[in-house]
Amino acid sequence: MSDVETRRRRTREILAEISERDVESIKESDRLREDLGLDSLQSLELLSVVSEELRINLPMEDAMELRTVGDACDFVEHSWEVAQKDGAPPRREESGERA
Amino acid sequence: MKRALVIGGTGFIGLNLVDALLAEGIAVRVTRRPRSITAYVRRRPVELVPASLEDAGQLAQAMADVDVVFLTGGYYPRYSTDRDGAIARGIAQVRNACVAASEAGVRLVYTSSTGSLARVSKGVADERAIPETIPTHSVYCATKWAMERELERHLERGLDAITMIPGACLGPQDARLGTGGILVAAIHGSLPWWVEGLVNVVDVGDVATAHIAAARLGKAGDRFCLTGHDMMLGELLRRLVARYGGRVPSRPLSAEEACARADREEAEAEPLRRRVAFPRELVDLVVSGQPVSSERAVRELGARFRPVTETLDRAWAWYARHHYLPAMRAMEEST
Repeated sequence: MSDVETRRRRTREILAEISERDVESIKESDRLREDLGLDSLQSLELLSVVSEELRINLPMEDAMELRTVGDACDFVEHSWEVAQKDGAPPRREESGERA
Repeated sequence: MKRALVIGGTGFIGLNLVDALLAEGIAVRVTRRPRSITAYVRRRPVELVPASLEDAGQLAQAMADVDVVFLTGGYYPRYSTDRDGAIARGIAQVRNACVAASEAGVRLVYTSSTGSLARVSKGVADERAIPETIPTHSVYCATKWAMERELERHLERGLDAITMIPGACLGPQDARLGTGGILVAAIHGSLPWWVEGLVNVVDVGDVATAHIAAARLGKAGDRFCLTGHDMMLGELLRRLVARYGGRVPSRPLSAEEACARADREEAEAEPLRRRVAFPRELVDLVVSGQPVSSERAVRELGARFRPVTETLDRAWAWYARHHYLPAMRAMEEST
């Protein structure tokens, strides 16, 4: 599985956990609100977990625009690519985290 | 003050406090729980540590080597459906924070709510208006009252703690849509109903600044109201719609109708973990609203409260930038 596929898969796994569904049942065309029953806070939870796991900062100004699982995966992937262009994600001690 | 811990630093008041502390060159540590929305605070140069108010051991670790602890993320009942459970949970959380702060020998600045105040029969209330017995009309007010009394028990045993009592906070960083949810719904034209009463509108940035001043200037046991501007909710909604567009129902519900409606909607929403447009706790705060003076905070902390319009503009700008609201030409034309 490529890194891109791994990240998309992980985003769907986190979505599955938050929406309390089986990851295999989640399709990229599923709508976050209507199909998965996520409210806006749960979408922010999703992005927070992804942000921490991938150690990237996400452009949260655009978070409310996400409509589908595919949108969320694209959003994460785009943010990952931007982070790579700007430099490698900070190591734990550089970001000051003990988490 | 060189290093501060903000418990609740991923939330609305907490994020604004984090920014105010960083602006003063103070190092900031923020606690996070497993489901905290950390994506906003991660964009700031803070130390993020796992700690829950349910876990005294984690709190003790988080408080190591800090000069002051701000507890902005105290429990509040999202649904007013379990009075005893809400009170017990609120007390337990405050107890854990107080015990950890006592053992660490560190000052605790605790964020409470005007919901904890007693109604005064004449004049203006202030931080001295403390109900003698636990409020019976509201789960939220009862919980906040009980949490303050728990804090006082630890004060009597030597804890160095200060209580901040903000009104209805509005402003940027309100990702979870607290009181600001009413504003967003009104501008969207989707506010289904409302109830009339007095609200104490205060800018969250002014609240954050006053917290830092209290940490520096306050004495153990001090209490400070931070209530900004007293205005009727109907007037606030009218000003909002006139400035940014939107729509609100022309007539408010009566207090009795609003309580019943909020209770019914929360009963339906809770099993699905949904939020309601106008929660019962907000109904309670609005219908029992009263003028509250922040004179002590102004006099002793140098607290300042910006005009309501500036606060609304700041809140609107943040909601618009984060796509909680459609972009509106009216605002651009006014600036």
